[in-house]
Amino acid sequence: MSVVPVLRRVGLFLGLPVVLVLTWWFASADSVQFYQPPLSKILAVFPSTWTWQRFDHDVVPSLTRLAIGYTIALGLGISLGALIGSYRSLRALLEPVLEFLRAIPPPVLVPIFLLIAGIENTSKILVIASGCVWPVLLNTVEGVRAVDEVLGDTCRSYRIGGTRRLFTFVLRSASPQIMAGARQALSLGLILMVISELKAAHDGIGFAITEFKDGFQIPEMYSGVLVLGAIGVTLALLFWLVERRVLGWYRGARAAERSAP
Amino acid sequence: MLDIRAVRKVYDSHGRQVEALADITLSVADGEFVCVVGPSGCGKTTLLRCIGGLLPPTSGEVYVSGRRVSAPPDELAIVFQEYGRSLFPWLRVDQNVELPLKAKGTPRRQRTRLVDEALEAVGLTGARTAWPWQLSGGMQQRVAIARALAYEPKVLLMDEPFAAVDAQTRADLEDLVRSVWRQLGVTLVFVTHDIDEAVYLGQRVIVLSASPTVVVEDIAVDLPDARDQLNTRADPRFVTQRTHVYSLIQKAKRTAALA
Repeated sequence: MSVVPVLRRVGLFLGLPVVLVLTWWFASADSVQFYQPPLSKILAVFPSTWTWQRFDHDVVPSLTRLAIGYTIALGLGISLGALIGSYRSLRALLEPVLEFLRAIPPPVLVPIFLLIAGIENTSKILVIASGCVWPVLLNTVEGVRAVDEVLGDTCRSYRIGGTRRLFTFVLRSASPQIMAGARQALSLGLILMVISELKAAHDGIGFAITEFKDGFQIPEMYSGVLVLGAIGVTLALLFWLVERRVLGWYRGARAAERSAP
Repeated sequence: MLDIRAVRKVYDSHGRQVEALADITLSVADGEFVCVVGPSGCGKTTLLRCIGGLLPPTSGEVYVSGRRVSAPPDELAIVFQEYGRSLFPWLRVDQNVELPLKAKGTPRRQRTRLVDEALEAVGLTGARTAWPWQLSGGMQQRVAIARALAYEPKVLLMDEPFAAVDAQTRADLEDLVRSVWRQLGVTLVFVTHDIDEAVYLGQRVIVLSASPTVVVEDIAVDLPDARDQLNTRADPRFVTQRTHVYSLIQKAKRTAALA
């Protein structure tokens, strides 16, 4: 009877979303308010709005910029984080500056980047990268700091050093923390992607939503928001799949720890 | 093989100076099995870490194979007490055993052979693809021992390796260590707080004093080479020597309490 548990899981997963959608549908069905169209109308404009052309023109550039910015943030965050986390004096030296920089809300930096890097892709990628780097960097620092002493001694006594030590020991030991930072950075990245396209853009999902708003195409605007939500869920799912593979050992180890007498 | 000369170690902890080791001088010949016992807190682990190059002594020197130890030497392997924390949880058992060999630069075919032999020597061939956290404590310590064996060291240091393991598993592991030692002819320094274990396992038992720690006595164990848990421990010579070591340690503890 392995069908029942599967059904149950699917039910739990989809249950609340389905309830919310249905509530929205029926609550808005008779709406005549211009800025709150019925859900049926929003869904009806999907085929004509989200064509392959628009996909090409808006969704692809947005996601590409997100991918590039996120990758830069990961690369920078992990490498700097590993460096800073490994040397106590370096961390002490940089901590005040890092705390200061990290406290600046990324949207505030949008005009600055626009001035520096123009209205093309570069400034948007900078906005995304500059925001996403912080969760990754700070989590990496913490993860690298907290490597196990006994494992460290083991590496020393077997003369496991250099890059091997970095990759097989330090980074893998810190990987649960780094993944947590990467997950936060992903959510943040999606937000920054949209924010970077609200002003001074000529393509992108955020740009499209703003255009709809300015052109009083309200159902289309809402449809854009739904598309964003769908993208967010898809990215989260993809991340979850990657995490399962990378941190399979971690889940097992924690489960063993918890069930130990 | 191992030469420890006037090693002294002072820790600076929170402004207090703690003299963990006062003056330790001893030698271990090639292929000898030496056990180090002493009252709790006498610095046995500190001594082992100094020998293994993990801790620089405040004064004095350690020589392994005639070369001064300033960092973990090449032909030396250490088995730690905390087996759970000394294995890499993101690597399977065979990968754990293989890692030091990879770092050493051993070619693949030889690596596989060494790993296979080591796992067989500790009786874990069936668990080679398991994750460390899937294994019991005793099995994890065996993996750590296998890892040390595969490394083919000349000197093996073991820091209270069976302290955190249950008594029955400990008995099996003790016999395992002795059989591995006889098979490989490695120089073994075994630190333990268990007096019975020290006399059962060693060819020599070094008794340390309480802090400030010095070598109280260096006893040659008068027992046959072939030992087993049942008969050796019932042997009157075992009992005599064990009692002797015990009384030395009790005296050391009392002297410390008076000081």
